[in-house]
Parts: sequence; C-alpha cells; structure tokens
Amino acid sequence: MADPATTLLGKMLLDEITPVVMVLRTALVEESCRKNGVSLVQMLSPFCNFNNIDVPVRTASDQPYRLHKFKLRLFYESDIRQPNLEVAKEQLKQVIAQAGEQDLSELCSDPPQISNVVGRSESQILPSWFQFFNKELMHTVSFSDHEAFDHPVACLLVVSSKDEQPLNRFVDLFNSNKLPSLLNDGAMDPKLLKHYLLVHDNQDGSSEKAAKILTEMRSTFGPNDCQLLCINSSEDGQIEHQDNPWAPYKSDDSPSQHLGSFLNSDDLNEIKDVMQELSSKHTIPYMEQKIRMLNQQVSATRKGFRNQIKNLWWRKGKEETSDSLQGPMYTFSSIESQIRILGDYAFMLRDYELALSNYRLISTDYKLDKAWKRYAGVQEMMGLAYFMLDQSRKDAEYCMENAFSTYLKIGSSSQQNATRCGLWWVEMLKAGHQYKEAATVYFRICGEEPLHSAVMLEQASYCYLLSKPPMLHKYGFHLVLSGDRYKKCDQIKHAIRTYRSAVSVYKGTTWSHIKDHVHFHIGQWYAFLEMHDIAVAHMLEVLACSHQSKTTQELFLRDFLRVIQKTGKTFEVLKLQLPVVNISSLKVIFEDHRTYASPAAASVRESLWSSLEEDMTPSLSNARSNWLEVQSKLISKSYTESNICVAGEPVKVDIEFKNPLQIPISVSNITLICELSASSEEIKSDTNGSTTKRQSDDESKMVATTGEMSSGTSFFTLSEVDVSLGGGETILVQLTVTPKVEGTLKIVGVRWKLSDSVVGLYNFEPNLVKKKIAKGKRKGKSFPSNDLMFLVIKSLPKLEGFIHPLPERVYAGDLRHLVLELRNQSDFSVKNLKMKISNSRFLTVGNRDDLTKDFPAFLQKTNAEQSGADGNFSKMPQAMFSFPEDSSIQGETPLMWPLWLRAAVPGNISMYITIYYEIKDVSSIIKYRMLRMHYYVQVLPSLNVSFQISPCPSRLQHYLVRMDVENQTNSENFQIHQLSSVGQQWEISLLQPFDAIFPSPSLFAGQALSCFFMLKNCGKSTSSDKISSPLICSNVSLQGSADKLFDITSSPLADFHYCERLQHGVSQDDTSTVDFILISQPSKSDGSGISDPQHLFSHHACHCSTLSSSPITWLVDRPRAVHHNFNASFCEVNLRMTIYNSSYAAVFVRVNTFDSPSSSGQSSDATSLQSNVPSGNQTGWHEIPVLTDIKLTSQLPPNQLRKLPSLESVPPFIWSGSSATSLHLEPMSSAEIPMKVCVFSPGTYDLSNYALDWKLFPDNSREDEAETSQTSGTCPGYPFYLTVLQST
Amino acid sequence: MIVCVAVVGHQNNPLYIQSFTEADDALKLHHIVHCSLDVVDERVNNPKKSGPTLNETFLGLLYPTENYKVQYVFFSYGYLTNTKVKFILVTTDLDVRDADVRNFFRRFHAAYVDAVSNPFHVPGKKITSRTFAERVSTIVKSFGLSSAT
Repeated sequence: MADPATTLLGKMLLDEITPVVMVLRTALVEESCRKNGVSLVQMLSPFCNFNNIDVPVRTASDQPYRLHKFKLRLFYESDIRQPNLEVAKEQLKQVIAQAGEQDLSELCSDPPQISNVVGRSESQILPSWFQFFNKELMHTVSFSDHEAFDHPVACLLVVSSKDEQPLNRFVDLFNSNKLPSLLNDGAMDPKLLKHYLLVHDNQDGSSEKAAKILTEMRSTFGPNDCQLLCINSSEDGQIEHQDNPWAPYKSDDSPSQHLGSFLNSDDLNEIKDVMQELSSKHTIPYMEQKIRMLNQQVSATRKGFRNQIKNLWWRKGKEETSDSLQGPMYTFSSIESQIRILGDYAFMLRDYELALSNYRLISTDYKLDKAWKRYAGVQEMMGLAYFMLDQSRKDAEYCMENAFSTYLKIGSSSQQNATRCGLWWVEMLKAGHQYKEAATVYFRICGEEPLHSAVMLEQASYCYLLSKPPMLHKYGFHLVLSGDRYKKCDQIKHAIRTYRSAVSVYKGTTWSHIKDHVHFHIGQWYAFLEMHDIAVAHMLEVLACSHQSKTTQELFLRDFLRVIQKTGKTFEVLKLQLPVVNISSLKVIFEDHRTYASPAAASVRESLWSSLEEDMTPSLSNARSNWLEVQSKLISKSYTESNICVAGEPVKVDIEFKNPLQIPISVSNITLICELSASSEEIKSDTNGSTTKRQSDDESKMVATTGEMSSGTSFFTLSEVDVSLGGGETILVQLTVTPKVEGTLKIVGVRWKLSDSVVGLYNFEPNLVKKKIAKGKRKGKSFPSNDLMFLVIKSLPKLEGFIHPLPERVYAGDLRHLVLELRNQSDFSVKNLKMKISNSRFLTVGNRDDLTKDFPAFLQKTNAEQSGADGNFSKMPQAMFSFPEDSSIQGETPLMWPLWLRAAVPGNISMYITIYYEIKDVSSIIKYRMLRMHYYVQVLPSLNVSFQISPCPSRLQHYLVRMDVENQTNSENFQIHQLSSVGQQWEISLLQPFDAIFPSPSLFAGQALSCFFMLKNCGKSTSSDKISSPLICSNVSLQGSADKLFDITSSPLADFHYCERLQHGVSQDDTSTVDFILISQPSKSDGSGISDPQHLFSHHACHCSTLSSSPITWLVDRPRAVHHNFNASFCEVNLRMTIYNSSYAAVFVRVNTFDSPSSSGQSSDATSLQSNVPSGNQTGWHEIPVLTDIKLTSQLPPNQLRKLPSLESVPPFIWSGSSATSLHLEPMSSAEIPMKVCVFSPGTYDLSNYALDWKLFPDNSREDEAETSQTSGTCPGYPFYLTVLQST
Repeated sequence: MIVCVAVVGHQNNPLYIQSFTEADDALKLHHIVHCSLDVVDERVNNPKKSGPTLNETFLGLLYPTENYKVQYVFFSYGYLTNTKVKFILVTTDLDVRDADVRNFFRRFHAAYVDAVSNPFHVPGKKITSRTFAERVSTIVKSFGLSSAT
C-alpha cells in the first residue's frame, strides 16, 4: 500500500484533524476586511495551510521529528459549536441541488456505454461533488464534546488600530460571555494559548499610531504574543490577484467583485508571516509542551501495573452510579479527558504511535463506563491511527466497524457520527482497493434520510463498478435504488443521471421488466424537465411491452402519448415499435403487361396464368426481340432488370401490422414512402438520382403543419389507410402508390401515425422483400435491390373487368346467367380482344344476344319453335374466345358479354379468366396486356342423382331406368322438373303417371326419391356423326305439364352437357350409353312449394351404360299359356329366341339347353311360381304381362304324353329339337332361333334351364376395347314361365 | 416463504421468473434476482475460492438484501447447473435449513431438465411450458410445508 498520507483518506485526515484556532475580533476589524469582500477568517484562512515549513517537534519520546506540512483551522467564536441539524440538512440539500444543476448539459447527451465505463479510474467515474458533499456531511458533527480535535487549541484576538483603547478591547474580547459553550460548560480547558493581533488599515492613515499601540500591547501581554498586521495598502483597490486565494469564498450575490482588491503583495506577505509565526512559533510548541505535560501526568496516574489495578477497582465501584446512556460527564480536568486530549494532540502532530497508545488506554475506560459515544469516538480515532501507521489493516477495519456499530447502537442522535465514521471507513477500504466492502459500508450508511441515502447508494454503485471484477448487476441495482430516492427528494436531475447510467447496464439484456421500468421513469423525468425529445426517445423503448400486464401497457402508452402531446409537435421515429411491422409479409403487386382484376387474381401463381395464356400471347421469341429492341431505345441498360409499372396505375404493397399489446391502438395515415425520379429527356445510366425528388421529406415537413398532402404538385399519389388494432390483432394493410409521370419509382418504406401523435417510419430492407410476382421472362438472376424499384412508363389503356352477379356460394347444378363487364377508363382504344377460361365446365361464354334474353324462361320450349338447337358445338373447351372485331371498349360505355355459370360439382372452385388485348398505340413499350381475373365459388352439394339401367326382360331394346335422387342440402327444397335423355336413338317415358311417383311437388332437404322410367332405343342414329350434330333429346316432364319443358338443346345447357361428357371421358360405345339431364328448380324459400323461376338446376349423368356384362341380349318369345289335351299326347310348345348383339364386334353365340333343372340352377318346381321372385338387380321389378294371346297347338306327339305319369324323376318338360344351337352374330344385328319344349303334364314351368355362351370376335378397329372388356362369357337363362293347361 | 424462483441462462438472460407473492413486486424481485447474479458470477469465475466444492452445484446464500423500508428481508440462494444455467431462490425466511434448500434445488433441477427436454423448447428462450410452471409451484408449496415441520 502506498503511504497512507498520500491516500485520499490520509489527505482528508491531514486536512480535517488539525488544530482549531478560535478568532475573536472587534467590529472595526471586520469592517476593514469587508472592504476586500471577505471576512477576517476568510482573509486569513488561505494562509493557514503551510506546505513548506520545517518545524522540529518533540513529543513524548526524546527523538524529535520534523513537520513539513501543517494546517490551522480558523473559526470565529460564534461558529465553534455543534451545527444545527436542520440548518445542516438544508445546506446539504443545497449542495446536492447545485451539483444537479451543474451537469445539466450532460443529461442531454447519450448515456455511456457500459464497456467504456468499466475500465475507467475512480476519479473519472465519480462525480466531483461527492467529495464536497462528504466533507459537508462530516462537518455536521464537528465541535462535539466527546472528541478533542475540534476543540480550539489557540485563541487569536484581533483588534483594529481604530478601536478606542485597543488594550482594553483585547481584554474585553476574551472576557465577553460570547465564548463558545465548550469553554463555558467545562468540556474543555478555558486556559488557551492567546495571540494578540493588531490590524491596521492603511487607508486610515499611517501606521505610526498602530506601532505605538503595538509597543503598548507588547508591554502588557508579553513581547512575543503580539503582532501588527497592516492591510489595505492598495490605494485604489484595483489589484487583481493571479489565482486568487479567496476564490472559494466568492459569493453568488456579487460575482463581479474582485476579492482582496485592496490587498497588495506586501499585505499578503504580511498575512503569511503572521500566520506562520502563529503556527510554528506558538501553536506547535504550545501543543508539544502540553503533550509532554499530559503524558507525564498520564504516566503517573495510569501507566504501570499498580495504576491499572487501581483504575479497574475504582471504575467497578463507580458502576452503579452512572447508568445514563451518555455515560458519566467528563470535565476537562478528568483524567479521561486529559488522555483524550493527549491522544488528539498527538494525532494532530502526527505522532500516531503516541495517539494510538492513549486511545487504547482510554478506550477500555470508556467501555467500562458505558460511555458509548466517547467509546465509539475513540475507536474511530484508533482506526484512523492504525490506518495512518499503515500497520494492521485488519485492526483498523475492526476499529472502524466497532465504532460504526456503536454509534448506530446509541440511536438517532449519533446517526451523523455514524455517517462520518462510515465515510472514513469507506475511504479506508477504498484505499485498500476493497471496493466491494466499501460498497457494503456505503449501503449501511444510508439511513432514514432519503436524500443522504440516495447519495450513499450512488456512491455504493460506483464502488461496485470499481471492484475487480466489476459487479455490474449490483451497480445497476444500486443506481436504480439511488435514483428512486433522488426522485423522492425531487432531485430529478440526479435521478436521471443515475438511471441513465443504469440504462447502460441493462442495455442489450433481456431483463425486460427492469428495462421497461428504467426507461419509463427516465422518460417521465425528462418530460418533467421539459426535455421532451429525450423523454420520447426513452419512452419509445417501452412501447412494445407485450410481457407487461394490461394496466402497465395502458399506463406506458398513456404517458407516452401525454409526453408527445406536451411537445406539441409530431415526432418521426424510425422503427417505431408500435405496431410491429411484419416484414416477411411484405408483398408487392404491380401491373406491367399483366393486369389483375382483383387482389385474389394477383396472388395466384404465375405459372398457372402463364400456362393458361400460353397460346394467347404473341410468340415468345418475337415478343422478346421486339421488346428489347424498343426498350433499348428508351431505357438505359441498368433498368432492364427493374420492374415495370405504368404511370397512373397503382403499385400495391401488402404489409401486415401487428399489435403486440393487449390494449387497442389506433393507427392512422398509413402510407408508403416513395421516391420518384422523373425521367428527363436523356437519361444516362449513371445519373439516375439527379432529379430525385424526395417527396417523403417534403411531406414530413408538411405533416407538422397541415398534415395534408398536396398531391397536385407531387409526382405520385399515395393511399392512406386508417386501422384500429385490437389487442394482439394482426391486420393486413394494402397500400398503393400511383406514379404520375415516367421515371424511376422506388418504394422506400412505410410510415404511419400512432394515435394521431407520433409518426413511425419503417424502411424496407430490399433484400428482405419476398417478391410475389416472379417474372417469367426475366433471367434467373435476381437483383434484390431492384425489387422495390420500378420503371414507370407512360400510361397505357387498362381494361377493368367484373363479372356480376357472381354468387359466392351456389348449390351444385345451379345454372346462372352472368355478365362480364369490361371497361376501359383510358382514352386509348384496344383491339384484338381474346378471352380464355380455365374451367369451361363451370363457366362458358354465351352469345351476345343472351344478354337480352330472359333467363331461364327463354330456355323453355315453345311448341312452335322446336328447332332452336343452336348449341355451340364447334367451340372446343379451353379454346380461346375471340371477341368480335367491332366490339370496342372505350370511355364510359363498357363491353358487356354474357357468361354462363354452372356449378358442376361440389367443392371450392377456382375459376381463372384471362383476357388478352392489344394496344392500338404502337409506340408504347408494352404491346399487349392481359387482364387476369380470378373468381372463387363455393359449391355446395345439392341433389345427388344416380341412374341404374337394366334391360327390360320383356322387350328387346327396352331398358328400365331407375333414378335415385337425394336432396343433400340442409334447407333447400327442390322441385324435380324434367328428365331428359340425350341422343337421337333414345326415347324416355314415364313408367307410371307422375302423380303416382311424386306425392309431393317438392323434394325436401334430406329427402330421397326413386322413380322409374322406360328407355327405348330407337336405333335411329349412327355414332359417327354424333359429335357434330345438334343434340337430339327426349324429354319427360315430371311436373305434369309438358309445355313447360326446358330445351336442353339450346345454348348453355347443351354446352355444359358437352363439357360434362368430356369430363367423364368418352365411353367405349356411344350407342350403348345414354346421358341424362335432370332439370330441377329450387322451391321458394317461403315454403309454398312453388318453384322459383329464377333458378335452374341441371344435373347431368353421362355415359350411363345400358349394357350388362354381356354384349348380347335376348328375348324368348312364347305363348303365355297353352291349352293342351294331355290325354292325347304330350304338349309341344314352339318358342322363339331373339338374340341381339349390341356390341361393335361379331359374336359367336351358342344356346345350350339342359334337361335337368339343377344344372341351370333354376328351380323348376311348378308350385314355386309365386315365391320365385327374380333375384339380383331387379328387386321389386318385373313385368307381369297380361295373359292375352294364348295359342293352342296340338302338334305334340302322343307318345311323349304317355310317359309323363310314369316318369316322376325326370323333369316335367324337356327341351326338344337341338340341344345346342350355335350362330354367328354380326355387330348390331339380331337373329332368331327357334326352340321347342315338350311338356308332359299341365302346370306352370320355369323355363330357365338354358344358358347362352358367347364369345366376341376381336375386331381390328376396336382392338383397344376388346382388351379391356370381357371377350367371352356365359349368360344363364333368366326365368320365364310357361303355363300349360289341360284342355277340356 | 419462497417469494420467487428464477431460471437464468448462461448469458445471464432470464429464462423463467415466477413470483409467489400477492403483492405487485415483480419488478423488485426481478432486481433482486438480477442482483444476485453478481455473486453467482463471482463464484463461477473464481473456482479456486470454492476449492473443494468444485462439483458442488449448490451455491448457498448469495445475497441478504437488507431491505430497509420494506418489511421483508430477502435472501437469495443460488444453484448452478453444469450447463451454467443458474437457479435463484428468493425467500423471506431467515432460518432456512440448507438441506431444505438443497432438496428444493434438486427437485427444481429435475423439473427444469424435463422442461428443456421438450423437443419444442428452444434452448436459450424463455420457458413457457405450463406443466413446468405447475410443477414449480408444487415444489414451492411443498418447500413451505417441509420447512414448517
């Protein structure tokens, strides 16, 4: 450790624990000094500090030593008393407040970085006023009676030469009862060293009179103790001193006055000499002498074993009498006081060994006497003495701790003493670099007084910072604690200073609660000091406090807004935290040659559009070369990569705003920040920013004044959006910028206004932009910085398209009439319109005159106009639709074109429509444009229609059709209107009267219905010309009135039917399949059951096959009943089987008959007629023809009949004739086979024990189908019944 | 009574702080926990001081906060895992048996390990698991019981 005297504490002690000289003066002396602006003590004090003396000192030991530095403290007699506590407090407050004012300028600067702070030395970190404050704090306990170093050692009596009878005045001065209480109440020896000083003011005349008085004085008071001091030698009072010694005393009232202006250098020297003589020739020897005297006295009474025993015994005896807290009263003459004086004098003369030994001696005495305050005081001095001796640091600290805790134990009266003791202790620890311990002591010093504790805590925090390694967490914490206390005492500036330092600790950490607290309070305090800019800066930090409670968030926001309001201006904050801008949601939508009818269309993948537009746009290579050629003329090369937008057309930017708080916030005036540099006539590639007009800057100035955008002068217009964000809400905002002139547009960022008071800015980082629209034509290389750069070209015509009325939600099968409306707002005309629809199953183009027609009434067939079949069959699906050449769109008149919507299948259906048009103005960069429309329809299931077709067993080419209809909706009711079968060869008819099938006119929600139809194949058509021919259909009305049938062969229905057919694929055989169209209408919602004529539903079932698994159908033609006389002979019945080949291949057919009924698997029991219900798919369905034509044949041979009764085991009938017949059937042809059966007894017989084996002959032309379908098979005969009756 | 438990990451970032007092003193407890980290850091950075207890995770009493003005005096105890994650326990009890605190930390550590083993937990981010919070509050409650007996 360094020399204790050079440490801070050492210097402090050398400064503070020095002899006190009491100054007594007359009023005239004071008057003379006042001429210089200073009092007598002030005038003398600067010269009481002796740095260059050499005084030999000999105390108790025989070895003399020399003092080189010495100091006297001068006090008026009135000041030698314990300071008033209240006054002292007030004074300290002043000190702090003044210090606060001083570093006001610092408050405006940025808070320091913690990394910078850590390495600094103590003097750099600590504010300088701490020293001063600590000193002032120590002075509050000076002149206590329990310690002697504040007691005056000498007395300086000063009388002016102008005084009358100066000698008497000297005597009067000391005898007056104005002497301090210390002398009067016996706490100290009233016999003091007296020094007499005569002051002569040279302005009052020559010093002769003064010299005369001096000689008188010398003769009266002794020759050595009297001196003459001449002052104010300067005549004019214009002397200015270099480094004025009185500078610290400069009063605030008259700062211009020069202190000591009448004192010339002679005066100064004289003062110096006087004071030096006082100290070295009088005070020091006096103290030496006293020390020696006291030492002898103490040695005599207290040193040695005998004295100690005596002392102990004596004190024991005294124990009962003194119970007061203060301990016994010690007068100056008591041995305890003597020892204390001895110690203090030795300390002041730097004989620390002597001082320590005496302190030790007295310490035990005081302890035994329970004189705690004195004990603590002595312990304190012991600690200091140990320190100055630099012997045992541990002992020193122990003593200090002991003293400190003892002071505290005494109670509040000694609080100040404890503070002083603590401060010394702290300095001691600091001198030993024990900063951490020092901080703890500071922490213990801070008592009840919040202001003091604030200062102490702040000092403690600096100790933590200075400790190795720095304890930053505690540094921050204590700063915050300190700041809180400063705030309590209204020392806002100090509070801000501490918090500012604390900010540096918490910066960059995730302790958000603490951070918020610190920032918020700093902000508040700055606002209190009317430093709104910084206040706002701090307040901004706490805005996005999603982790805080709702009330806290409200508080933060409210205070923030209040501060903003107070400022009275609009702040612009880059990266305002509220609301949060979700940069990843940024989406730029712009239109070059691709234009979009709706935002939904813009969000569709580019590849989808380009595939749709493939054959619409001019061929790629041509377009490209033209493009580049034109472009290169107009645009410098650096722009070729940038995006193109058209003047007058908005560029849209979608961005998400999120409110992190739980409370709603209002965000208004959300706009984009853009730059547009208008293109001059010649743009060089490198001078693109020359004409840049930063509109955002202009605008921001305007916001403060009017808040209104003057779009008339600017190069572009911006849209403004106001939103209100609820707690935790996220809102997608679409912003637009519309450039007005050609040039280069750059989207810089977004700005918004929070709660009408603060403007937030957010700059888009170019590389973060997720560009939504990938240009198909552009090279793979992307230039991210250019994503927000646009080349603005001159305005072009732009078509706008709408489809109305497009429903959002329809039921499947709904057929609607829509109108496509195209508008062209610009003055330029367009040509060569083409349109393409992605999903022609759902949407088709109508004819122009459909517009005027009344839907769906015009679809209804009138009897007179049967041939209105104008279905547009030549139109291919996916094909382009070219608008007529004469259709022009310009100005106000829109182009209307009908469209038909049919919700084919349930589900969410996207429809893409793209319209191509060319611009008549050839000079433009862009030759053509596209209008892209995207619509979205939700289709709900309505009717589920299914058909089952089975051959009619009783007639060839007739089929039974079973239709199952189920209403799958939840609430809608439908009326089945009509069923149509499509195709020339088909005719459909009701099997039953309609009112038998439909008990109710409506099909209610959830209801199902089955009904049956007869379908007849007329065989009229051939399949070859089917596609091109108009639809021929056969209708059946299910409502009973045939005149209200809808004509399904007319345009929209037929078109959709065609699409449906395509959708389901072409079946292998047109002639064997049939298409059905079911027309229904929804019932009116009022439940009246009347159909709603505005809507029409069509359900299409295509390619319903009439074929069973085999290509052949047959019919056995036979008499129903035969009368025969079995007595004569057995009965022979002729049957005729007609076989029809419905396939396109030749078939080889063999008919096998079996005699045994079991072989065919059919029961032949005659009695099983009623129960033998046909199985399989004919459930509930068979035709029982009326027995009408009974033929009678009598050609049966009689021998067979005779056998009948005897042959019970054989079947009652046998097939006669050939048992197997083979034949070859050409495609689509029929053949007849005669068959014969012999019946032996009357009865009803099931003649099903036969089978048809068939085999296809593969046909070259239909090879592909032959592979997939069955080539051979066996059909068992189906039951039919023959009744043979006994004829009478 | 335990007033606060905290998990602090190895960069002294708070991962989990939960107070168990009715009063609204979250800020104060944040400060106390934050403050206690100095002592933890000191012990972590000076292993030679702790010498024989090299593998000891329990750090003992960190910081007797003499909280003048407030009626409570807070004591904070520390615990350091092998991954340099710190657990801080703040209590108002003067007489806390070391064994109780050790036991508490052991159970708390287990709960923490389970919480961060969750594959959806991002290391270094705040622990938001509700299960963890419930478990911690159970442990805290049981601490109060065992020390009372």
